[in-house]
Amino acid sequence: MAASLLVALIFMSLLLGAGPVSITDSMLALVRQGSDEARFIIMELRVPRTLIAMTTGVALGLAGALLQSMTRNPLAEPGLLGVSAGSGFAVAVAILLGATNATLTTLVAQIGALVGCAVVIAATRVHGLGNDPVRLVLAGATLSGLLLALTSMMMLVDQRAADEIRFWIIGSVAGKTLGDLTSTLPSIILAIGIVAVVARPLAAMALGEKSAVGLGHHPGRVRFLVVLAVALLVGAATALAGPLIFVGLVVPFIARALAGPDIRRTLWYCLAVGPCVMLAADILSRLLVVPAELPLGVLTALIGAPVLLLIVRAGRMPSL
Amino acid sequence: MTRTALFSNRRTVIANTVLLLAMLTVVLASLAMGTLHIPPDQVVHALLGQGDPLTRMVVHDLRLQRSIAGLASGAALAVAGCVMQSLARNRLATPGIIGIDNAATAFAVASVVGTGIALAPSTMALVGAATATALAFGLAGANGTRGYRFIIAGLGIGAIAGAITQLMLSQVAIDDANAAYPWTVGSLNSRDRTSILILSAGLLTGYLCLQALARSLNALQFSDPVAVALGIRLRTLRVIGLSLSVLLTGCAVAVCGPVGLIALIAPELARTVCRPGRMPITASALAGATLMLAADTIGRTLFSPLEVPVGVITAILGSPYLLWILLRPANRSMR
Repeated sequence: MAASLLVALIFMSLLLGAGPVSITDSMLALVRQGSDEARFIIMELRVPRTLIAMTTGVALGLAGALLQSMTRNPLAEPGLLGVSAGSGFAVAVAILLGATNATLTTLVAQIGALVGCAVVIAATRVHGLGNDPVRLVLAGATLSGLLLALTSMMMLVDQRAADEIRFWIIGSVAGKTLGDLTSTLPSIILAIGIVAVVARPLAAMALGEKSAVGLGHHPGRVRFLVVLAVALLVGAATALAGPLIFVGLVVPFIARALAGPDIRRTLWYCLAVGPCVMLAADILSRLLVVPAELPLGVLTALIGAPVLLLIVRAGRMPSL
Repeated sequence: MTRTALFSNRRTVIANTVLLLAMLTVVLASLAMGTLHIPPDQVVHALLGQGDPLTRMVVHDLRLQRSIAGLASGAALAVAGCVMQSLARNRLATPGIIGIDNAATAFAVASVVGTGIALAPSTMALVGAATATALAFGLAGANGTRGYRFIIAGLGIGAIAGAITQLMLSQVAIDDANAAYPWTVGSLNSRDRTSILILSAGLLTGYLCLQALARSLNALQFSDPVAVALGIRLRTLRVIGLSLSVLLTGCAVAVCGPVGLIALIAPELARTVCRPGRMPITASALAGATLMLAADTIGRTLFSPLEVPVGVITAILGSPYLLWILLRPANRSMR
């Protein structure tokens, strides 16, 4: 079901938009016919955009699922915990120092995410904090706030950088090329490889750390790999689409509802649900205020915050 | 129990005096420092209506209003935070964290960028604050202000309000967006006389009402059954306390934008220096005023002639402190 929905959304993403291209023209363009204009819009603008939205969805969804399983906290989400903010801050610094190269941006974003993620995991190891989802989320929110304040301070210093950062910080998958995507692809594939390796130990760790050790896994090693994977994924997603909040919350939430408690199944479902959510958000962002466009980050916040409230509204916090 | 909390014992009196002195020092510094440096004695002269015309002009017309705005908004935010912390019995439950600031900002920005709403930004900020509180309460359900739901609900509301603010700013012309910029970061730059007057009136009203309620509010540190046994009408008290808190936050945000951390840190400071077991309303107000004005003065002078908005300064200086509260091992959520 998820797969057919995904296919439908991919077609919608390719066929719908603000441009002066009718749906039949778009279909023709897909099979390399029709007018040049339609071909350009479809092949150069919408195809990259669709692929990037899908990649971001997969990356953020997987990162969210990994973090939630790792911290045993249903609210652990890269955006809420400050991982995205860490990578956003790193990119802002890079932009201020004059970086424009896409590859460089990805790497910088990933380093920022790595630091942010390590801080989060270290914080959950602090006595008592790991059991308290709300405190962890508040700490993440505070960290994000701090980094945002530092970013706006940098924006005051340099006007050119300020314009670039302001555009980027809202989050968008528009105006990116396939080149941006290919530069992040290796790290995403590497991260998915790591996910495949850690899925089993993670499922064992859900039974408790001692059981995992008893089953022959090394929790410390797993934790390290998870941090690495989350950093690679969030950094790539942030470099592609800006610091998007709440995607990492919504995707695993839906995936878990479909897949049940096993983290391995949840991770598989994230691969399908992530692109669906991001594509839906992106299509909406294009269509809601034609001919203008809603910032994607705004849309994900508007979709995601109610899900956050929904999770909290549930009689008691679902435990992981 | 006729004496107010202000004179209740020596420690509180000393603490309040020290805070008052600190506040006066900061006021003097804020009037003296800036692109044109004026020696403190000249400032005093100018305040008394003496000295040369230029100094008088700078002190009276340029800096005094800003200082008053800073003092009043800081005090209002701090008192609002103090009350809300006591009502929720959770010291993280402050207007900034519950999303009241963000909502007030969103409404104010809506008015600035002109989405067909004719109310003034300050009125809109008040409406926004009230809406957010009502929503947070509605979503928290039967638990009221207790527990994590209220805070997470507020976090969600804050995120939505922040997204809507971004959305409005991205849809309008760049000039309108720039006009609304001070609202989004928190700055004392955009204050106007009317909203400062409204804020001062609101602060006075709120402060006096809270002093009158001090005894009941102090009883909130006990559990609900004990408070009821002491003759407190809890429901009424909560409604009044929250309304006052919303009023103060809304008025303050109308002047200075979302400078949320003041509401968390100032009462915290006040609780540390004052006698335990009482709600330190006066001390919170003084501490809030001092912190706000100090942060603004730092922001004005640090990268002079560039001006760093006060919200940025409080976030950079206050966030590490908040993180420390959150991350330290022992969870003493409220004394």
